Amino acid sequence: MEKRLNKKDFDNFITSLRGKGYKTIAPKKDNNLIVLDEVQGGGEISLDHVITNNSIKEFFFPKTEKVLSYRMEKNNVQIEEPEDFAVKSVIFGSRPCDAFSLPVMDKVFNWDCSDKFWVQRREAVTIVTIACDKCDTYCFCTSVGLAPDAKGGSDVLFTKISGDDYVVETVTEKGESLIKEFEGVFSDPLSEASDRQVATVEKKFEIEKVKSWLDENFVHTVWTDFSLKCIGCGACTFVCPTCHCFDIVDECTMTKGDRVKNWDGCQFKMFTMHTSGHNPRSTQGERWRQRIMHKFKYYVEKFDSILCVGCGRCSRVCPADMNISEMLEIIATEASQPGNKE
Amino acid sequence: MDNIYRPYLMNIRDMIEEAPGVRTFRLNFLNEDEGKKFQFKAGQFALYSAFGYGECTFCIASSPTRMDAIECTFREAGRVTNALRELNVGDTLGFRGPYGNVFPIEEWEGKNLVFIAGGIALPPLRSVIWNCLDLRDRFKDVTIIYGAKSVADLVYKHELKEWDARDDVNLITTVDPGGETPDWPGKVGFVPTVVEQAEPSSNNAIAIVCGPPIMIKFTLPVLEKLGFKQEKVYTTLENRMKCGLGKCGRCNIGCTYVCKEGPVFTAEEINKMPDEF
Repeated sequence: MEKRLNKKDFDNFITSLRGKGYKTIAPKKDNNLIVLDEVQGGGEISLDHVITNNSIKEFFFPKTEKVLSYRMEKNNVQIEEPEDFAVKSVIFGSRPCDAFSLPVMDKVFNWDCSDKFWVQRREAVTIVTIACDKCDTYCFCTSVGLAPDAKGGSDVLFTKISGDDYVVETVTEKGESLIKEFEGVFSDPLSEASDRQVATVEKKFEIEKVKSWLDENFVHTVWTDFSLKCIGCGACTFVCPTCHCFDIVDECTMTKGDRVKNWDGCQFKMFTMHTSGHNPRSTQGERWRQRIMHKFKYYVEKFDSILCVGCGRCSRVCPADMNISEMLEIIATEASQPGNKE
Repeated sequence: MDNIYRPYLMNIRDMIEEAPGVRTFRLNFLNEDEGKKFQFKAGQFALYSAFGYGECTFCIASSPTRMDAIECTFREAGRVTNALRELNVGDTLGFRGPYGNVFPIEEWEGKNLVFIAGGIALPPLRSVIWNCLDLRDRFKDVTIIYGAKSVADLVYKHELKEWDARDDVNLITTVDPGGETPDWPGKVGFVPTVVEQAEPSSNNAIAIVCGPPIMIKFTLPVLEKLGFKQEKVYTTLENRMKCGLGKCGRCNIGCTYVCKEGPVFTAEEINKMPDEF
């Protein structure tokens, strides 16, 4: 189904969504940041950005989330299940790269056994994506098989056409039923074809070359070289829409508590530290290798998906100016010129 | 949909002081129905939780042939294990599992078994040792080589005596140089050296090794020298695990999730892995 919506009617759409009980999340200004956050109306929405500072991840896999609560009275422990964690919501205005991270992450949260916190939020949330009409040098979605107007992971895709009009395409049945539910808000598509304003993202490397190089170079000087300036802050893992590592800890008083999942990251030294003090990844080079290998080799072999959507947030946020696409470009070049193995 | 992070509640029925800072809990399910349905196999592990402190990972140390209680043995080494140590008989703890793969005991029938363990790594092997001893007529010679830093650090001291007294078990115990006492009847030396001296025959034999990574790395070449083929040598890896479910992303060695495809691996499998354990 294809429809049309003018930017001035975004407010009507958001108000209608909220009127039907949907929690609405959209990009909005927060001081100098553009963040995906809950909005009360369309007037709050900001669309002048390349990409939001935070990713879509936290609405399905929050930074910290309760997986159970317990009460302790002497020796009597009662476990309580969290409730109302999956709220009927619409995320409006996420980018195609962010949306695509969701089917990628579905694989790890559903293989062998399902994480109900992820699964039930996925069911409760509808994704309305707006195709990118601009990009910056950090963007590399086309290098990992995506595009600024890719539909994967979205339920509805908006693409800017003439003026402030957007063509509205439903991608999934969930998206179709959402648009039908609010049919009155949308106009019919223009009768003549209009140019879609979609950014041109330069392809920076051949992903197959990266993969074949990784297959052969677990031991190589680049891992140390790349990581020399890394300070191990883990910011790259937190802003990444596909990094899914977590810790499980208890937060409690003497009589009651919560067991919570917290985001964690492979760039932290303690991440793999054994209780004995032995650490399989004791250097930052080994930890950096793990990040690259996990995204472009291990996850591909395990789940047949690249664990990267080319959003470039990791490079934008890095305080040491490490740029993942530049590194992958070097790796892809090395693939055709045998490197200096250690 | 079930909450995969929800633990069973277990009651501490008994506890045994094994060594300085090392304790064994005997656990029963608070909910009898859950206990009746529960099954596991030797080699599997679980997440044990002290409510208010968190979860930590160790093997199930008891044998699936002895289901009157689930046992775990742990050393107090961090926040959660210190909290577990504060618990007493009758207290409640959380138990999530069983997780991971198993020792393929059925494939070992009719073979000689050589168990090699170091320090606090005897508990994972204790499960499979008792499993095999309870099915003793299915296996040929059973040799157990166990070492610890000192005599005091040896765990399951009563069971070591029991195994030593059996005619159908060849037990060799050792302590690191300097860890012996004047009346220590066992050997003095590091486990790989003692294995080399003991020269267990590799003929129709399976070796099962568990210990600190450094012990495993030095023992595998000794076994190879003794003629054990890599596919006949088993070990259990103890990479850091938090979820036990292949999701939290920290226990992988290359593409292998230790919590799902392990913790039991053959030396052949380990030699194909990147050196990240």
